[in-house]
Amino acid sequence: MSALRLISNRTSQQALSNSDYTWEYEYYEYGPVSFEGLKAHKYSIVIGFWVGLAVFVIFMFFVLTLLTKTGAPHQDNAEPSEKRFRMNSFVADFGRPLESERVFSRQIAEESQSLFHFCINEVEHLDKAKKSQKGPGLESNTHFQEVPRSSGMFEEDLNCPTKFNIPNFVNTEQNSSLGEDDLLISEPPIILESKSVMQSSHRILD
Amino acid sequence: ENISDFSLNITDCTQVVVPEEVFFTVAAAGILENLLVLIAVVRNKNLHLPMYFFICSLAISDMLGSLYKTLENIFIILCKMGYLTRRGDFEKKLDDAMDSMFILSLLGSIFSLLAIAADRYITIFYALRYHNIMTLRRALVILAIIWTFCAGSSIAIALFSYEAATVIPFTILFPLMMFFILCLYVHMFLLARSHAKKIASLPTSTVHQRTNMKGAITLTIFLGVFLCCWAPFVLHILLARFCPHNPYCACYMSIFHVNGTLIMCNAIIDPMIFAFRSPELRSTFKKMFCCAR
Repeated sequence: MSALRLISNRTSQQALSNSDYTWEYEYYEYGPVSFEGLKAHKYSIVIGFWVGLAVFVIFMFFVLTLLTKTGAPHQDNAEPSEKRFRMNSFVADFGRPLESERVFSRQIAEESQSLFHFCINEVEHLDKAKKSQKGPGLESNTHFQEVPRSSGMFEEDLNCPTKFNIPNFVNTEQNSSLGEDDLLISEPPIILESKSVMQSSHRILD
Repeated sequence: ENISDFSLNITDCTQVVVPEEVFFTVAAAGILENLLVLIAVVRNKNLHLPMYFFICSLAISDMLGSLYKTLENIFIILCKMGYLTRRGDFEKKLDDAMDSMFILSLLGSIFSLLAIAADRYITIFYALRYHNIMTLRRALVILAIIWTFCAGSSIAIALFSYEAATVIPFTILFPLMMFFILCLYVHMFLLARSHAKKIASLPTSTVHQRTNMKGAITLTIFLGVFLCCWAPFVLHILLARFCPHNPYCACYMSIFHVNGTLIMCNAIIDPMIFAFRSPELRSTFKKMFCCAR
């Protein structure tokens, strides 16, 4: 960190007549830096660095946007429900996540239903075990919005916990332990509701 | 004495000076904000959770960074006014201590961000077992290990800062960590995308692309802010070590104070994008201020 001292001492030198160069470090004794014959602009490193940084950040943003495009082909017809989904989280009955998940499970393929119910039960057990620790309860349940037909793209084992892992932004914000409601996004979580709840919220919104 | 004269004539790129008022305001704002976050987490029992402890760790590193800059400026002012001698051993040791505080802050920030990303990763991919994997005690142990390692490294780096062997690992650590954090978040994003696809394929549901766009924006902000605030300084260290005589490098090094101010801006922005995102923490703040009045 002698560089720090070097530069900060230089700054203070400009204000002082006496210098701080006695904090000796070898390369404090620079020879004069000659500014003759510069081919490029003298601030070229500064400009190049900041332009490079900006380009990198923008590139990263585009890569992330591309990564997160859903790309589902039949998505166009049901477009405006996104807002409803957002409002769903506001009007959602937070007290009945388990029930809604049970209802929801009827909509899914049978082969995953049993697994789903099994997982619900397991979560119930986990939940009861953990209820004392947490203020807002049923936090584990709130993970359960993953469609059980999930590809399991990231989990090789068919373990219940790993199969039904869900990104935070589709969780209900029941508890602080699981993180903010907007882990990755800044909008409220999307909740998958039973049909009846969705219809009622459509009425609220429309 | 000649050197001081040289230093004034030495470069056409004069030091870009940030006014002291701006400096101190930014530093004070950063310290206050992070202190508020710490107080809020301590006071609210609901926030005694691993995730908030990691956010607190980030707040502490940010506070240390701002504190370092403030102390350094005060130090220079005291030297200007003549209260401190410039040749003393005491000042040298003080300077060493401050440098190590700064490196501690940088390393602490990096590792705190890493811990936050890992915590979120576990929350997503091991959701049901999260409470078993990330207990409070384990979180505290992890934090203790992180801070011990950072403290040790910072002291070592400050003592041996003239060695290339310390500068190079230090500057390699920075992009390496950023890359790792990026990978964690990208993996989470991929899961989010697959999940969104599943939702979209349901007959009565859909997902709007804007949802994912916001995720991309948020993550870009996370990492972009950290990069933009710390990378200029890390580059400064590299250039100061390897090409101090080059005129281009010297011109880059002349904006050192701006880089320092950027680091303090990072301390101000970090609570906004991490801590204040949580509704629980925001409500704690409101309660704190309402009760104070």
